[in-house]
Amino acid sequence: MLMKATVNGTDVTTAGITLHNLQKRYGSAMAVDDVSLSVSPGEFISLLGPSGSGKTTTLMMIAGFEMPDSGRVLLGEKDITRLPPHRRELGVIFQNYALFPHMTVAENVAYPLRMRRMAKAEIETRVHRILDQVHLGALASRYPHQMSGGQQQRVAIARALVFDPPVLLLDEPLGALDKKLREHLRNEIKTLHKEVGKTMIYVTHDQDEALAMSDRVAVMHEGRIRQVSAPKDIYRRPADLFVAGFVGEVNLIPVKLKSGIVHGPAGESLPSPPWQDADRDATLCVRPEHLRLEASAGSSGGIQGRISGMTFVGDATILEFRSETGLQLLSKVLNVSDHSMEVGDPCVASWVANDATILTD
Amino acid sequence: MAGTMSSMAIKGRAQSSRPWPTPWAWLLLPGSVFLVVLFVVPLTGLLLLAFGMPNWTLANFSRIGDTPVYLTVMRNTLEISVTVTALAFVLSYPIAYALTTGGMVLRTFLLIGVVLPYFTSTLARTFAWIVLLGRNGVVNQFLLELGWVSQPIPLLYNRFGVILGMTHIVMPMMILPMYTVMSSIDPKLMRAAKANGASPLAAFLTIFLPLSLPGLIAGILLVFIYCLGFYITPALMGGLSDVMITMAISSQILEQLNWNFGAALSVVLLLAVLSLLWIGSRFFPIEQLLGFSDGKLGLSVTRRQLGAKMLMRIGSAANALDRWLPSMRGRSVPILASCLAVLLLLPVLIVAYLSFSASSYFVFPLPGYSLRNYEAFLFDTLWVRATFTSIRIALMAVAMATALGAMLAFGLSRGAMPGRGAMIALLLSPIIMPTVIVAVATYFLLARWGLQGTEFGLALGHAVHAIPYVVVIVVANLRDLNPSYERAARSLGAGPWATMRTIVAPLVLPALIVASFFAFLASFDDVVYVLFLGIGKITTLPMRMWEGIRQDISPTIAAVATLQMLFATIVIVVGTLLRRQKKT
Repeated sequence: MLMKATVNGTDVTTAGITLHNLQKRYGSAMAVDDVSLSVSPGEFISLLGPSGSGKTTTLMMIAGFEMPDSGRVLLGEKDITRLPPHRRELGVIFQNYALFPHMTVAENVAYPLRMRRMAKAEIETRVHRILDQVHLGALASRYPHQMSGGQQQRVAIARALVFDPPVLLLDEPLGALDKKLREHLRNEIKTLHKEVGKTMIYVTHDQDEALAMSDRVAVMHEGRIRQVSAPKDIYRRPADLFVAGFVGEVNLIPVKLKSGIVHGPAGESLPSPPWQDADRDATLCVRPEHLRLEASAGSSGGIQGRISGMTFVGDATILEFRSETGLQLLSKVLNVSDHSMEVGDPCVASWVANDATILTD
Repeated sequence: MAGTMSSMAIKGRAQSSRPWPTPWAWLLLPGSVFLVVLFVVPLTGLLLLAFGMPNWTLANFSRIGDTPVYLTVMRNTLEISVTVTALAFVLSYPIAYALTTGGMVLRTFLLIGVVLPYFTSTLARTFAWIVLLGRNGVVNQFLLELGWVSQPIPLLYNRFGVILGMTHIVMPMMILPMYTVMSSIDPKLMRAAKANGASPLAAFLTIFLPLSLPGLIAGILLVFIYCLGFYITPALMGGLSDVMITMAISSQILEQLNWNFGAALSVVLLLAVLSLLWIGSRFFPIEQLLGFSDGKLGLSVTRRQLGAKMLMRIGSAANALDRWLPSMRGRSVPILASCLAVLLLLPVLIVAYLSFSASSYFVFPLPGYSLRNYEAFLFDTLWVRATFTSIRIALMAVAMATALGAMLAFGLSRGAMPGRGAMIALLLSPIIMPTVIVAVATYFLLARWGLQGTEFGLALGHAVHAIPYVVVIVVANLRDLNPSYERAARSLGAGPWATMRTIVAPLVLPALIVASFFAFLASFDDVVYVLFLGIGKITTLPMRMWEGIRQDISPTIAAVATLQMLFATIVIVVGTLLRRQKKT
């Protein structure tokens, strides 16, 4: 069931997770609706979505705290759908960590080993080893409330890893922390993943976190997985309007597809990737950093309009564009050199054909 | 006394406040003067009396030690209290646990099962047990009918009856502090334990149980203290060989008129209670369990390693057994808890049912329905007069308790001053101290002023007893009243008086109404104060019930008890509705 992989010259236990058509209903509301996902051994995958999208429910079904109404959860080849949580052997890191307040750091970390009735000497060795690994060796006799948020996270990680589970489940572990610390701990988790080589399933509503840490991101909305792809593809090639809008800023341009050419709101032809299918209405997505505002139109066409506003945001300037038909678009320009644009200047909005995505839903 | 209590209360508040009283703190003055004069002074007087002031002597105390009767009384008191506390603990834990972890429907049901008896007067509940357990009572009728016994078995006026009745009455008192602490335990910790390989049983033993220990200790302590000072139920349900210390005190003061010796017995009880409180305060700031929490439930205590190491070992052993234990899918505790809650409710419900009897005896099931018991109550001048006396006294007590209690609550919430912890201890003591002692002490004081046997004097006693309830309810409400509302009003041009009238008063009013309802209930249900302060001249409704129960167990009392219960229900419902309205 479990496979041994070699990371940095040491053997680690790891296994894949497969979800088959998971469904969970609360009353009349579909919390998780036909979710299937295959996570390979050693992969770091994020479940990304707004609150109520079903990401936490999905994670809790993997952990065994929620029973799916239908569908299966596989750990490697083994069906664990009906297994109670304490026999699943999965490491879980909870939101706010759920460290036991009446136990010291060492006792917290020893807990899973004691529950497995391991010999005392063995427990001590393992606890020491893992606490040293997360640089908490000196704080073993402290209580959780005497520690900072970052230290608490490391205790939680140590506790979840000490019994060498094949998979680590993380439920918004950075949710309650301030921005600086989040970024720091994000890197710590990423480094950890490289070191231990375990499969990690990470639930978050923060797109930056998901994009920065994951091998793949699964975007969830209203109980369904909308897209599973590498972070770059999630961003560059969103599968639908929800994904396009949820991950990053995006300009949505209503267009008509006619005989292979994309026509804008005023009927102008617009740069876009090739299109073969039937004629129809669609939406063209262009990221603000891909949208260029220039004095005159290039060969591949563009939208005529004026600059309607400018906001300086430090490393970049956000230019607001208003087309003749009233369409509002944003362009993000890095402040690497001075640009001569002023509010009110007439200009043409255009982009490189391959930077745009056509969405037809 | 205040010294012991203060050390206990200060522990709850670690942060030091500014050394000098702020303007808000002056609101504490009237209430604390009231409590000092009517609570601290009388208790001190009691102490002096016990030592024979002005002819100082220890004779009264040595008499207790020398007389076998009183040693027997002490032993009875201890035996009964320990048994009742242990039984109540065992029966309460499943209810408190299910109340914390159960689903919405179960929790609502259990809450009714705990809260309704809690606010039904002790007298009414004791009466219910007397009706159930008597020679011709409901239980014996059942047993005879089923043919399990050939003649009625004695269930009442013996040790069994006292213990059963007392256990039933103290259970809500045990459950509520347990529930307070249990509901503060993060349910995620249990999940974390299971994710780390603990079976449900092992997770309970290693995480939930140790974290709920402070609540268990507090519940056991409060109930044990209450049992030591319990008067009504043992006096009505006990046999001749079950005399407890409170009954000895009452007999010395009221029948033998031996004040010094009665005072000495009271001091023994008082010392026992204070030392228990002191021991308890080593484990937990007790005022938090009476609903008075300034901050989070003490972390310092949750860390206590009380037996946690041993539980860890048992838990880890239990984990090995997990695969062989039958799985109940976690249903056994809710089922057990529901059964226990039904048992909690049943006595009062049976009395309510019997009150509609067409017969002048208690027959189960009813031979026919009628309102004759209610008519007997309404058309009997003695019952009606007693009811009006009760209402008059309760209204006086409510006026004093609400006004003083509200000021105290504001002073405590907003004011800062040295000795705030001692203040809280003083405020809450009247509900922790055995009522019999406070009543006896107050009696001596009122006798000196010539106020014994007056309705006003009795109302003063009731007010002392009701102030803690008012303070607890209003303080809880003021915690939600954000001072920034008042600052906003001031910045928008409202003067201090206008701010009070337009912002504070409307927001605090629901709590004040609820508080005065509960103060009314505290006075309206009391019988111990009346026994001592009324000196036979005042007959309130509970007093008339008390006499009725001692003489003949007339079905009219069932009607009165039912009306009392109905009134308590109304108070709870109004309280809940007002609270809910505030939240939406």
